[in-house]
Amino acid sequence: MAKKTYDLLFKLLLIGDSGVGKTCVLFRFSDDAFNTTFISTIGIDFKIKTVELQGKKIKLQIWDTAGQERFHTITTSYYRGAMGIMLVYDITNAKSFENISKWLRNIDEHANEDVERMLLGNKCDMEDKRVVPKAKGEQIAREHGIRFFETSAKANINIEKAFLTLAEDILKKTPVKEPNSENVDISSGGGVTGWKSKCCS
Amino acid sequence: SSSNSSFSRELRDDLVHSSSHTASNKAQILTMPQFNLRDNLIKCELLKNEDQYTYLEDFSIFLGTYNVNGQAPKESLSPWLNSTVLPPDMYCIGFQELDLSKEAFFFNDTPKEMEWTNAVGRALHPDAKYALVKLVRLVGIMLIFYVKKEHAEFISVVEAETVGTGIMGRMGNKGAVAIRFLFHNSSICVVNSHLAAHIEEYERRNQDYKDICSRLQFRQLDPTQPPVTIMKHDAVLWIGDLNYRITDLDVSSVKELIDKKDFETLHRIPLLFLQFHFKDVKFMQHQAEAFTITNDGQVPCQFEFITKPNEPTYCKPWLTANPPKGFIAQGASVDVELEVFVNRSTAPKLNSGAEEIEDILVLHLERGKDYFIPVTGNYLSSCYGTSILSLCNLKEPVQEMPQETLRKLVSAEMSLGENAVSTEKPLDIPKELWMMVDHLFRNAIKQEDIFQQPGLRSEFAEIRDCLDTGIPDSLPGSNHSVAEALLLFLDALPEPVVPYSFYPQCLENCSSASQCEKIISMLPRCHENVFNYLAAFLRELLKNSASNRLDSKILATIFASLLLKSQKKQDLGEKRKTQEFFHHFLVQGPS
Repeated sequence: MAKKTYDLLFKLLLIGDSGVGKTCVLFRFSDDAFNTTFISTIGIDFKIKTVELQGKKIKLQIWDTAGQERFHTITTSYYRGAMGIMLVYDITNAKSFENISKWLRNIDEHANEDVERMLLGNKCDMEDKRVVPKAKGEQIAREHGIRFFETSAKANINIEKAFLTLAEDILKKTPVKEPNSENVDISSGGGVTGWKSKCCS
Repeated sequence: SSSNSSFSRELRDDLVHSSSHTASNKAQILTMPQFNLRDNLIKCELLKNEDQYTYLEDFSIFLGTYNVNGQAPKESLSPWLNSTVLPPDMYCIGFQELDLSKEAFFFNDTPKEMEWTNAVGRALHPDAKYALVKLVRLVGIMLIFYVKKEHAEFISVVEAETVGTGIMGRMGNKGAVAIRFLFHNSSICVVNSHLAAHIEEYERRNQDYKDICSRLQFRQLDPTQPPVTIMKHDAVLWIGDLNYRITDLDVSSVKELIDKKDFETLHRIPLLFLQFHFKDVKFMQHQAEAFTITNDGQVPCQFEFITKPNEPTYCKPWLTANPPKGFIAQGASVDVELEVFVNRSTAPKLNSGAEEIEDILVLHLERGKDYFIPVTGNYLSSCYGTSILSLCNLKEPVQEMPQETLRKLVSAEMSLGENAVSTEKPLDIPKELWMMVDHLFRNAIKQEDIFQQPGLRSEFAEIRDCLDTGIPDSLPGSNHSVAEALLLFLDALPEPVVPYSFYPQCLENCSSASQCEKIISMLPRCHENVFNYLAAFLRELLKNSASNRLDSKILATIFASLLLKSQKKQDLGEKRKTQEFFHHFLVQGPS
């Protein structure tokens, strides 16, 4: 059997209205580049990036989804299995911010119960076109008990920080294997109950 | 080790046709869906190195075809079948018009099958022993497949199928039978077809050919695999009474032209945007768009259209993608065809606007992207697939009305039944039905073989458009096309003329003419009108049976299957009862 080049695999998902910059956010993180031509994502694509956190090699498999309204019923079927979801809006587009509650509802309905969520207000380099104050983003994030960053894929602001923070938060919930035990003990079920007790506390 | 068969080209004898089996079409094999990724990788490598482990061998196949015009074998077939110096490796012998009797037509049973099979068996080449591998027959079209005893062990996966192309695409007086098999590693399909007669009917022959290609499907042993069509074989051998005639050229120049001609024409439609719009989709009018998936990556790639959540299939019932999954080697590409076809089961909801031509296909690449492919279109509502009641309430052609009107009518009908729309007195019968029947009454009452000959699809399209738009004023097309359009209209009704709820009592009372009449008198008014109107028309037709060659048995068979339908599959006994029921109305008028 091939030797694993990583210790853990996290599956992340990017969602949000069409045109808020999900693909650019991902491209900045995975390839450290920015492309100004807008090509609407028609489907689901993913990128892989391996990061190191707390001495562990973590492979991030990040799924980029189509934001267009007509695809919503399909894209929600990809939520299940995601361990972290980044919900992106555009600070220069009020509509994309208003739709946040709708996207959050989608997560509630279709994602795993214990999914780690994060809110991103993208395009924060375009201060002159801003219509969504930072405080409003912070407020809605607080109401839902999730983390919030303002980001810019273009100016490379907070992108890496956002992904690493999300990965860290997932890592915290991940049951730690005893370093000297080769096999995972399924019967103890420690990991799952561990998450639940944390959720309920 | 494996072998790959090929057939030598041999033009010595007119009767021994041989087909040059091309080096296996790699692209096609690679798109075959039955492999998983691992198998595919292996297959891909195997194909690359095919020459290293395969060898070609020549075999001869004797193909013969004979339209026997209902006759029994009177003399030995030996001069025909035993005319080669060496015994052929296989015999594929096709017959047409084996039996012209009505029994053969209705019950697909004939003593001629045995007579001609024995005649063939007796006349095979005496220098070899042959085994009968398969026999298949559809009414008068029969195909017999023999193989030399020593090859028998290399023949596998033998399947036979039939398809009728007679009126309503059901009757077996025209059509094809086919046998497929594997010989060593080559898949071979032999087709025997009897296409429409008369020189001027080439369009119908072309239509028959297309129908046979699309509708003749072999089920696979693995039920999860899609059925195999004729053209998906390494070699296709097509024989039969094709009825095509070349009148201006002598035989030698025709053969010369065949030798020169390049039959291969390849169409590639480059794909820019994965988005498809089907304009003016109509009832039973096939529309297709194709796109190419090219694998410009470094590894072989598997693709599949995947099912969306909460939906039973990967696409709506009026849409198909072909192939729905497959495998593409590095640098290769596959053409995928999206086809829209609205039939009688999908038409009702599209007519009323309850559903639209709208779907999103999810094209999944193994270990990679999922592409969303939106498919949109506009559907032109039709009287085909619209209920009798709705049509009686529409005074104008269907497409003259705003779709909203039709939608309201249908939904009112769902909730209130017959008394739904009572603001205006409804028509006695749908005007579309009247137009067709009236046209036939005026023009086709003496037409030979009316309701027995199929119509032309192109003319059906014109007739449908005329009924749905009111233009032109009178129905276009030949009598046979109008007759088939009428049958299709009855077939497409969402609720049959005798509604499903009345069906059980019709069966129970089928032997009593008076009971049958009583049942009809209890139908919803417009259904009763339609039933009586059709029966009266058919009785008029029967008065002219000397010219139109109809009898009450034929008409009962054809119309009972359309007027008295079951929601479950009918067995032969049930079918006979529906025929008995309707027969009462053909031999006597209402008392």
